[in-house]
Amino acid sequence: MDRKGLGLAETVWTRLDRKAGAIVELTVRQLRHRVSTWVVLGSGILMMALLLAFYVDSVRETFEPIDNDGDSVDRDGDGYPLGQERKYGTSDSTKSEFPGSGAFVLESDIDWNDLNRVYMGNKSWDGMAYFEASWIDGNYTGDWWDSHIDWNMGLDGVPDLQECPEEVWRVEFGSACEVGDTDGDGLVTYMASGKWRGEGTVNVPDESYLEWGHWTESFYVEPDPPEKYIDEDGIDCFDSSGTRVDCPAGDRLSGSHGFDDDGDCLRTDWVTPEGEPQTEEPMWVWYTGNENGIPCDIVWTSSNGIVTDIDADFNVDEDPDDEAYAGELSHRTFIIGVGKMAFVILLGLFIPLFLALGLVKDESENGTLHLLLSKPIHRSEFILYRLLGYLSVSSSYVIALSLLVGTIAATLGPGDGIFRVADLPVWLGIGIATTLVLAAYGSLFNTMSLISPKYGVYICIVFGIWEFVMGFFSIINPNWTITSISITHWALQMIDAIVIMAWPDTLQWAQIGQAFGINTGLSVFWQPPVHTLGTNEPAVALLVSVTVLLTVTSVMVFIGKSVFNRKEIM
Amino acid sequence: MSESSQQPPAVLIDQVSKFYGQVVGLNDVSLAIDGGVTGVLGPNGAGKSTLFKMMMGRLKPTQGSVRLFGVDPWTSTAPYRRVGYVSESEKLYEWMTSLDFLTTLARLHGMTREEAKERSAHVLDFVGLADVMHKELGKYSKGMRQRVKIAHALVHDPDLIILDEPLHGCDPIARTSIMSVIRDLGNQGKTVLVSSHILEEIERITEQIVILHNGRLLALGNLHAIRDLLDKHPHRILINCEDPRSLAGLFIEEDPIYGVRFPRDGQLEIQTNNLSEAHAILPSIVVKSKQDISSIENPDDNLESLLGYLIQGAG
Repeated sequence: MDRKGLGLAETVWTRLDRKAGAIVELTVRQLRHRVSTWVVLGSGILMMALLLAFYVDSVRETFEPIDNDGDSVDRDGDGYPLGQERKYGTSDSTKSEFPGSGAFVLESDIDWNDLNRVYMGNKSWDGMAYFEASWIDGNYTGDWWDSHIDWNMGLDGVPDLQECPEEVWRVEFGSACEVGDTDGDGLVTYMASGKWRGEGTVNVPDESYLEWGHWTESFYVEPDPPEKYIDEDGIDCFDSSGTRVDCPAGDRLSGSHGFDDDGDCLRTDWVTPEGEPQTEEPMWVWYTGNENGIPCDIVWTSSNGIVTDIDADFNVDEDPDDEAYAGELSHRTFIIGVGKMAFVILLGLFIPLFLALGLVKDESENGTLHLLLSKPIHRSEFILYRLLGYLSVSSSYVIALSLLVGTIAATLGPGDGIFRVADLPVWLGIGIATTLVLAAYGSLFNTMSLISPKYGVYICIVFGIWEFVMGFFSIINPNWTITSISITHWALQMIDAIVIMAWPDTLQWAQIGQAFGINTGLSVFWQPPVHTLGTNEPAVALLVSVTVLLTVTSVMVFIGKSVFNRKEIM
Repeated sequence: MSESSQQPPAVLIDQVSKFYGQVVGLNDVSLAIDGGVTGVLGPNGAGKSTLFKMMMGRLKPTQGSVRLFGVDPWTSTAPYRRVGYVSESEKLYEWMTSLDFLTTLARLHGMTREEAKERSAHVLDFVGLADVMHKELGKYSKGMRQRVKIAHALVHDPDLIILDEPLHGCDPIARTSIMSVIRDLGNQGKTVLVSSHILEEIERITEQIVILHNGRLLALGNLHAIRDLLDKHPHRILINCEDPRSLAGLFIEEDPIYGVRFPRDGQLEIQTNNLSEAHAILPSIVVKSKQDISSIENPDDNLESLLGYLIQGAG
């Protein structure tokens, strides 16, 4: 067995390598022969199968289109959905007002400050005035609010009204009285208050108000089916040359985007009575829009090439194609959610609890440790190789499982391609993040069981609960400082960083989800990585997280080695 | 227990004590062992396993020093390249075949897989397990398991072999086989330490013994020399026969016999100061008595009696 004649490097390193190989192989074979290994690994596969079943059910199934802006509803029951009423400028809260029913077009008014208080014409009037009538429409209903004056029209077409009392200066709104032919020209003057239609001269008293206009002709409009107002205004993006591109893959990540496909933004909120777009923002826009001076657009804000905010004017891109957008959002949410909760938090905790806790302790309790330690292998080496053996089983399991689930999800997932290749780096990242967690927990649990063989398992369970809670807190808000006192937090940060590195548009998708009300939970399960050291670079966060996890592992292995080296073995 | 002036001895125990709290495991033991088979005798709790575990770096001496080939085994694993150890623990990896088991452990000596396999097969053949080397250890008998453990200790051709109760629980056939293996190792010039609490076992293996009692080194040296001393000590021989009284009459006339008793019906106890002489005259007297003798026992020819004698002597 003497290896005389071989170089030092070869003898030392190859022998070290052989020892490592032997212990790693022994550990793998031992784990393979334990029922608990198969139970925990089998449970993991079962859990993934269930999650995939839910995924298939939610993502692969055709999306029921959602009316995100609610304009497919006919609230006033006139047969026209809100979207169609918006287009025609009619109200969906008044049944008698509907597309084609004729619309009142306001022309002018005499208000309290106008000096000239006399006007003549054939109009629809609204307000208070002395009306010297040459013609009155006795059937005017106007279909425009209420308070229409009942002229009590006689068969001869002359109103039959009471005379106004002496020194009266106002009548009840929605009524009129006869003043008489005060100037002797044969035309009777009435004091009218309310709405009426007629030809003549109005004289508006001081401290009274009158406006007038005309009604457009009524015509028949075919009611649109409600389905037409579902997914009718998708998210529109434009590249730097102004060409419409698929969102969010455009080359312009900031500035004005959006297109009012259904016209309800321009029609209802931004047109003047003359039909011209307003040049100034209406007063109310400041709390519903983006205030950039461009009507009916959407402002995308980006920082370092990453979209950080999407601010839309009202009724623009408000009802996107759910299959396209919710499908993508749900798919990413599934991957991130499964990666964080199923892989990192559940598998990351339970696999080491079952597989790593007894790596050295069980050998010591069984007495088989004497067999191994009677060989020229240092105790530190022994711990290290045992952990490597455990890791080779657990990490190959999680990486294989993540790639398997990833492959299935990438095949079934939404999109034009047959296979979503861009998903695989994320799944691989999830597998690697979980592996680092397995290494950290494995070394920690192993060390705990060496420090206290009797109570180590209880300490580990308490620790596991802490990690579990911190994991959920980290998902909800990774900025909470306390969450960084946990191993899970750093692995979740890794996933956050890997996600944005593999899918640079994830923040855009999260913003799209929030901006357009597509609630798939992406913003809950994924947030930009926190620990970027002020650079906002996900690679920095990834590096920091990996460093922290490796440091925790190394420190735990070191403590474990120190404890084990000093331990007397009975 | 020869001393080598050039090389440090295989085992050097210098004023070693080990305390477990208030309990004494070993008390001021000094030993130097190099070459041949040495039996470590002592009743349960005498400190045999403690001594071996300290040699194997499992336990740290409270006082004194332990050196294997001049190196402290608590701080260095270097001596284990030359040491084979069979612990008293009986647990093995039940799901492994003995060849697999040995190959795995041999690889910890830095052998390649092929080397390890070849060497393991050779050692299994040496301990007489060649025909069952592909069977799982879980199916092995107690004696076979002990032989596997010995094989694991021999797989790297060590210079020092430490065997903690290797015969414990074995049937007579396994015992004989293991004893033969140990004797062979001794004949090969290895240093072998073998512990037992049964005097007869050690006697069949070696003449060099170390006797431990209550953590103290009671005696070390040649078993025959110790035995000779023991022979001069009052001894009893129990003979089960048809007519103890007539047999007693024949014995009492002989010189080494100084007394007789009849503990039970059909049983004679003769008392002697010289066990060897008593045994020498025994056959002729039995023939002379023309009785059927069903059994002859030496109740004082055991470790307890030896210890009792040594303790008295020490006292």
